[in-house]
Amino acid sequence: MAAPPPAGGAPRRLPLEGVRVATITVFWAGPHVAQLLAEWGADVVRVEPINVVQPGTRFAEHVAPPEQARELAEQGQIFVYYPDFDPGDEPWNRNSEFNAHSRNQRSMAADIMQPEGREAFLRLIEQSDVFIENNVPETIERANLTYEALREVNPRIIVLRMPAYGLDGPYKNYRAWGTHVEGMIGHHLIRSYPDETPDRMSPAFTADALSGVTGAFAVVAALRHRDRTGEGQQIEMPLAEAYLPALGEYILDYTMNGRITPQLGNRHAAHAPHGVYPTAGEDQWIAIDIASDEEFAALCGVLEAPALASDERFRTSQGRWMEAEALDAELGAYTRAHDRHELFHSLQRAGVTAAPVHDELDALASEQLAAREWFEETEYPGVGTHRYPGLLFRMANTPNRVPAPPPRLGEHSRELYLELLGYSAEEYEALEARGLAGEGYAPGLVRWPFRLKTPR
Amino acid sequence: MVRGEPGGTAADGRQPKGDTLAQLIEGMRVLDVGRNAAAPYAAKLLADYGADVIKVEHPAGDPARRAGPFLHDEPNPETSALFLHLNTNKRGITLDLATPEGQRILRRLAADADAIIEDFAPGQLEAWGIGYEALAAAHPELVLASITPFGQSGPYRDYRGSEITLQAMGGSLHSNGSAGRYPVKLGGHAAHYYAGTAAALAVMLACYRVDGGEGGDWIDLAVYETQAGSMDRRRYFLTVAAYIGYPARRQSPGSHVISGVRPTRDGYVNVAGLHRPEALLRLIGREDLLGPEGIERSAFTEPGAFLDEVEASFLAWLLQRGKREVVDEMQSRRILAGLLQTTEDLLEDEHYRSRGVWETVDHPKTGPIEYPGRQLVLSETPKAPATRAPLLSEHTAEVLVDELGADLGLTHADLPRLRAEGVI
Repeated sequence: MAAPPPAGGAPRRLPLEGVRVATITVFWAGPHVAQLLAEWGADVVRVEPINVVQPGTRFAEHVAPPEQARELAEQGQIFVYYPDFDPGDEPWNRNSEFNAHSRNQRSMAADIMQPEGREAFLRLIEQSDVFIENNVPETIERANLTYEALREVNPRIIVLRMPAYGLDGPYKNYRAWGTHVEGMIGHHLIRSYPDETPDRMSPAFTADALSGVTGAFAVVAALRHRDRTGEGQQIEMPLAEAYLPALGEYILDYTMNGRITPQLGNRHAAHAPHGVYPTAGEDQWIAIDIASDEEFAALCGVLEAPALASDERFRTSQGRWMEAEALDAELGAYTRAHDRHELFHSLQRAGVTAAPVHDELDALASEQLAAREWFEETEYPGVGTHRYPGLLFRMANTPNRVPAPPPRLGEHSRELYLELLGYSAEEYEALEARGLAGEGYAPGLVRWPFRLKTPR
Repeated sequence: MVRGEPGGTAADGRQPKGDTLAQLIEGMRVLDVGRNAAAPYAAKLLADYGADVIKVEHPAGDPARRAGPFLHDEPNPETSALFLHLNTNKRGITLDLATPEGQRILRRLAADADAIIEDFAPGQLEAWGIGYEALAAAHPELVLASITPFGQSGPYRDYRGSEITLQAMGGSLHSNGSAGRYPVKLGGHAAHYYAGTAAALAVMLACYRVDGGEGGDWIDLAVYETQAGSMDRRRYFLTVAAYIGYPARRQSPGSHVISGVRPTRDGYVNVAGLHRPEALLRLIGREDLLGPEGIERSAFTEPGAFLDEVEASFLAWLLQRGKREVVDEMQSRRILAGLLQTTEDLLEDEHYRSRGVWETVDHPKTGPIEYPGRQLVLSETPKAPATRAPLLSEHTAEVLVDELGADLGLTHADLPRLRAEGVI
């Protein structure tokens, strides 16, 4: 970015250099923690099996046929894709989802459910500062890798466990993604259209996002505490509970006033107009948020809408809020004539809070992100050169660059077993010969196209 | 490398202090010079787990005091739910940073702080003479986190942003909702909570490095960029767009077979049947649809008679059952499923009650009410009971006179004058 100038002193190192993190994570929330720690310098080691296909990690459990994938992409149904729709020979090293959240990590092959994998994993724990997992609690219990077990091996270990709902309680072993958690804690209903049934609302995965950052925060805080006291600990952070604070005012509205928050859609507690309005073109929109009379006057000025400005119903903020539906309809008739980007700049210049609704292609073309060099253009071996999302924040005196691409499956097995875990070359090669360690899935393990089993 | 060994000297030469810190972030001092949701939530994360956080408000108060919802819907700066929730465990002082006296006091407060979290427009702190350069010159270990809509640089640096506009431009708002209808934001202040949490992480990272003997740093956090990098779909969808050139679009309801929100006899559930289609077909008694040869998984995304029949059977099965029964039966087959609950359902849910998620906090204006208590259950440093959010200017005299009066040359007799001058 065009960074603020350093305030003096030498450029700093990445904050987590020298910290080692072992991870057994699936889907999004756990990997988000690992991603953030890796981006800021930690040596993150992903432990993953190569003798079985672990679902929800590298997505080898289902590789869609390219023609069908293209059809779905044209409809805007986005899930796991490969560059130019080509899964290649090793789709597990080429998929968008893994590559979006795994840079600057190492991959070590080990199946924790097998005695050999358990041994290797525990040796890694001895050499690690932190362990992160986001599996169903019963899985970790079955593998006997709870905090109590790991503490025996390394008393200073910091363990972050991220179940959906908790390590105890009635929902302990409920399986969930972020979208299910959000339904259970009220977010899905609150964000649904006010005038539609909630099945008209698409899923969101905000709980994965928020719990990921909260987990990384907790880990660094626990590292700091450990440096001061010598004491490691377990951090239990259910996705549901990491997200509850984001609904704080609605929860207090119930505990304080007994009010059940209705489906709100784009409605704001006080601002009006507040919403997303059509602009010229198909499915093009601008978001506008009016907090004061002055802003409303400025909005009407830019839109050359004196009738709106002088309408008695919309004269006060209370009137606008009470008549929000009518106001939205009238406003949309004005915004529809405008190009969303031209309107964005005119409104901002007039002191109105507004922004175009951007899809991903718009974001890739954003002049603000370009000026701040936010995207990272990087070549990933076997994948090609592409732009990837940048850092969530930058520090003025720190190199804000991620050193290495995501690891290929098992890529660092040999170096980790030999150089860190104390295996001899013979021992490692024996594991390799049995398909328990190495640098890729066993031939034939990934079935493509994927066929469901017949009924038993 | 593992940093140090239990009871020994840390590998990097730091001497462990011994097990004397009861809370996770005890001993850190932070100034919360933020408003609304993002910066105050960052500071709340630190405060709730033990940091000594002083909230510095303009004499008119944090705008969150005017946001509500209010007790009995009566606007009152001391009963805004948003403010009460976001400012637990902090002390509160008032200070007008636009005044020279306010700036002088802020500089003195900064000298004792490990970190400052602020959300003024880019250039504002510098204009007041309390920007990073000025503060760090006197205190090189200081960590300053600046939260802005678009960052400290770039063509939109001075543009305004709010929750809905930053979700719109930065995040996945365009893909929320149904095809053919307008796109919808995420609930509440989702983008600002995410940004605030990222700011708390950034502060911890920078302070951790200061512990290691290096200088502090200035964190530039744009809410827009936290949205663009958000794990809530955007970073994935951006990567897909870079790989194949297609953006996400809002879908029609029911566009994912046996997955998504579905009605039951007494309410809605959210299921991911497509994740385990075989188990789901068995559950609803339609294993016959698998056929003797099995079926390619891709058949579940290929429109046609097969999908129609799967979905019709699924709906019929759902409508014969209540929502809790549906979720329990699916979970027993390891199929992802959950309820759509209201805030009332949530507050009465036995699961959260049994885990002690809610914490009762007393307050002179509201009386005792339940708050969302914690994100983290910590085995060695359990979170201490919360103290309520400060009343406006509640700790001004305590901090400016009792603690710093000698340094600042202030006594209790000076406070009426400072109040009259609008400094506090």
